[in-house]
Amino acid sequence: MRLFDQLVFNRQLFMRHRVRTVLLLLAVSIGVASVILLTSLGEGARGYVDREFSALGNRILIVLPGRKETTGGGPPIYGASPRDLTLEDANALGRIPGVLAVAPIIAGTTTIAHSSRSREVITLGSTDAFFAVRQLNVGVGSLLSARARSEPLAVCVLGVKVKRELFGSRRALGQWVRVGDRRMRVIGVLEERGESLGLDMRDMLVIPVRTAEQLFDSPGLFRILLDIAPSADSDKIQEQTLRVIRKRHDGEEDVTVISQDSMLAAFDNILATLTMAIAAISSISLLVAGILIMNISLISVSQRRKEIGLLKAIGASSRHIKQLFIGESLLLISMGSALGISFAFALIFVFAGLWPSFPLQPPTWAVPAALLVAFGTGLVFSIMPAKRAAALDPVLALRGLQQ
Amino acid sequence: MNFRDSSTWVFRALWMQRTRTLLTIIGFSIGIAAMVVLSALGEGLRVFVLNEFTQFGSHIIAVNPGKTETFGIGGLLNTTRPLSLSDATAISQMPNVEEVVPLVMGNAKVKYNQRARYTDVAGVGGAADKAWKLEIAQGRFLPTDDLQRARPLVVLGSKVKEELFAGINPVGRFVRIGSERYRVIGVVAPKGEFLGTDLDDMVFIPAGKGMQLFNRQSLMEIDIFFNPRSTSEAMADRISRLLIERHGFEDFTLTTQDQVLVTMDNILSILTFAGAGLGAISLLVGAVGITTILMITVTERTAEVGLLRALGGTTQTVRMLFLGEALVLGLIGGICGVLLVAFLLLLIYLFVPALPVALSPTIVVGALGISMLIGLLAGSQPAASAAKMTPIDALRAE
Amino acid sequence: MIKLETINKTYQVGGSPLRALCDVSLQIEPGEYLSVMGPSGSGKSTLLNMIGLLDRPDSGRYWFDQVATEALSEERRAQLRGENIGFIFQSFHLINRLTAFENVELPMILAGQPVKQRRSAVADVMAMVGLSDRASHKPNQLSGGQLQRVAIARAIVMRPRLLLADEPTGNLDSHSGGEVIDVLEKLNEDGITLITVTHDQQLGDRARRHIRMVDGMIDSDHSSPIKGPNRKSAEINSSEIKSAATEDKKSDDATI
Repeated sequence: MRLFDQLVFNRQLFMRHRVRTVLLLLAVSIGVASVILLTSLGEGARGYVDREFSALGNRILIVLPGRKETTGGGPPIYGASPRDLTLEDANALGRIPGVLAVAPIIAGTTTIAHSSRSREVITLGSTDAFFAVRQLNVGVGSLLSARARSEPLAVCVLGVKVKRELFGSRRALGQWVRVGDRRMRVIGVLEERGESLGLDMRDMLVIPVRTAEQLFDSPGLFRILLDIAPSADSDKIQEQTLRVIRKRHDGEEDVTVISQDSMLAAFDNILATLTMAIAAISSISLLVAGILIMNISLISVSQRRKEIGLLKAIGASSRHIKQLFIGESLLLISMGSALGISFAFALIFVFAGLWPSFPLQPPTWAVPAALLVAFGTGLVFSIMPAKRAAALDPVLALRGLQQ
Repeated sequence: MNFRDSSTWVFRALWMQRTRTLLTIIGFSIGIAAMVVLSALGEGLRVFVLNEFTQFGSHIIAVNPGKTETFGIGGLLNTTRPLSLSDATAISQMPNVEEVVPLVMGNAKVKYNQRARYTDVAGVGGAADKAWKLEIAQGRFLPTDDLQRARPLVVLGSKVKEELFAGINPVGRFVRIGSERYRVIGVVAPKGEFLGTDLDDMVFIPAGKGMQLFNRQSLMEIDIFFNPRSTSEAMADRISRLLIERHGFEDFTLTTQDQVLVTMDNILSILTFAGAGLGAISLLVGAVGITTILMITVTERTAEVGLLRALGGTTQTVRMLFLGEALVLGLIGGICGVLLVAFLLLLIYLFVPALPVALSPTIVVGALGISMLIGLLAGSQPAASAAKMTPIDALRAE
Repeated sequence: MIKLETINKTYQVGGSPLRALCDVSLQIEPGEYLSVMGPSGSGKSTLLNMIGLLDRPDSGRYWFDQVATEALSEERRAQLRGENIGFIFQSFHLINRLTAFENVELPMILAGQPVKQRRSAVADVMAMVGLSDRASHKPNQLSGGQLQRVAIARAIVMRPRLLLADEPTGNLDSHSGGEVIDVLEKLNEDGITLITVTHDQQLGDRARRHIRMVDGMIDSDHSSPIKGPNRKSAEINSSEIKSAATEDKKSDDATI
């Protein structure tokens, strides 16, 4: 039968049984739409993480004090070890070829106060390199200068939220604040920027590393960030870092070096697996839709017994009949899938408009995967009814009798 | 129409069209099974994590230096507001306080003869083993000395002991931590992981020594275990006041076990709901299945509907009969779904016993209830359709 | 018992209205035996449905036992039907998945009557129509005549006062048809009001009162003074109904 004729034939059929057609379309479209929407959620999360990492643009190695020997365990997060990572260590690392910049970090919490307002705040002591490595800019004023590398200047850069809580809408630049037990001058306010990998820069304070040393009365570094050249071999530089530390720490390799790439890869893996698991689970609904298709096809076959007998009598072969029934199911699935896809994308579009930061990104494999499952189950579940239709004896069928 | 007759009617009607009834039930039961399994997984996870947290008892308060504005990780960083050992001592003397465990943590190399290992070092008090339910395999735990007069003693975690001493009994021997010698006085029995931290790859030394070793002026945390005679709020209040008196300001954060549990519970409940939601999609399609089949059935049995009306059946009766079919479809689907789940969970238990799943009676009853409800909802439109027919139109439709 | 006053009913067929009943007025006393005849489209079935409370008139009044039926709710009408009116259809309308017994039982089940009562009532009427031995058979195991007799049994199991038969012999061969009519007329003898709608002249003539409808109106309405040609059958008792139901043909042209 010509495809066009088949389509016309089918259309008449669907119009005759509007309710069941609509409900079947609904079932398939729910399945397809949910697969697409949910995987979009997973993929969007993945994209978000990717973007956050790559917002830092450059390639970063992170050096932490301490070491864990248990494989598979996390890195040592406690930041405390008998031998400190020192500024001199950081400078030595900065001299490794391939390292573009070094940002030593001392981290602590302290109170910041101005006139009558005060609050606790996470304070980072670092150098000018920190801002470059983390790609931070000031909205007002300036960042720490190169002098911050060696001089304990009494200056600070505020995060936006800290500024607002202490100064409200008044000007903060040039004002004196009390940080811990000392006075410092505000030389800059960071520009508005949301969270970056868990650290909300708006809620922080940055001061020169030497100043932090004095403030917390401890020379131990919390981390060292190394910004390495795009062309450099990350593994080699990691090796060299360990070598430098070993030399400086009496042969002790008491640090851990993490590359941002490996962290990203780990996250990526987890999210990708999660997304696929979600896809698989939401595909179960397509399985249920497939069973419904089979159910309806069987009913259809028994209701149209006479028609089938007639078709056979006027020359339709068993193959023709099978094709007819399978074709019907496939057509229904196409329409249902089309509806589901349209609905899903419409929703994604609306979301993107209302909440641009909300991660809803359909992965490229979502639509083909959903279609594959939909058509696959539909095909499998309409074979049996089609066979049953094809096997009807034309004479008995015309008489309206059962086999 | 009395109940027995209605049920007989409904079951006969469904049985008459066994194939379609069976297929509808299968579809619906897959949906229910999906929802129940996912909820069970979520619930299992929730129970697992909560147990991890409550294994130490529920009357615990943690004090960290710095205020809450610092996301609670303040304890790990340097601070200008130290929490001291004498604070810990002062708290331990308060009424209703059972144990106090000061805490400072870091990472160091532990050496024995030629063997060495980088490992986590926990500077704690003598009550840590009781508080954290650490079993001693050899020797004993740290003594409950005066916190300020810490002696260089160490208790090894099982993994560290294996790596450094293999089969030898380490008790009485000396190891080097950092640059100092510590005497081994005990070994902890294997404990496993606690939320990602390997408790066996750890050594325990007095908190005072820990502060020296890591050159810190402040403890990272003080854990307070109190007896049930006091409530969390009352205890927290009193500790708070004591510390304010000692420090002059409120430069610390108090967290009660209850708060932690509530937060955890909230997050995990979201997981359970998310799981149930995922499953609900399949359930929705299953419900559409019931509606579809019943709509077709009503159309096919239009004449029957007319007959029932002609014979004196009311609209209500007709509606009830079709709703009954939907309800039974839902219920049997639900039962099959639960059986399917039980089977799946059995498989999971046999092959992946580590996976936490919890099938509570609540979930089962809930699942059955939902199946019936959805059956009813799915059948409401077809039933209304059937009831709406005037007897004369129905009969004519033959 | 039945009083119809200027009943009107219009249907929409395609786009244009069709007047099925035009100002029909009619009175029927208990125990009467009427036939309603006329060409197709004359409104006879519509009239029957009106009387049977299956359909509502557009205008006019219908009193059943001095009760104004227009005011009644759908549920109340159903109840009235169940208690007072029995239906017999051309296409039997039996439920294929139920046995003969269960089909007959149906009105009692709908009325919520207890099992014991149902059992004895059904057994009685099955005996009356001569099908006691076929009680557990399903419709696909019964002949046309037997099917209609099951339908009759169902129609009378609740002891209605009115029997409405719409082309009762339409789907039957003449022998079976005869059997069926005999049963119906016997019931009428026992006091049940019987109204048959038919376009079989022979069948229609058997009634004592003939109503003829044309184009939705009652064209003629006359009673024959004598009971019809089957006067003799009025004296046949139950046992003879049973033997009449056997395969042997009983001659109807018995000499009067």
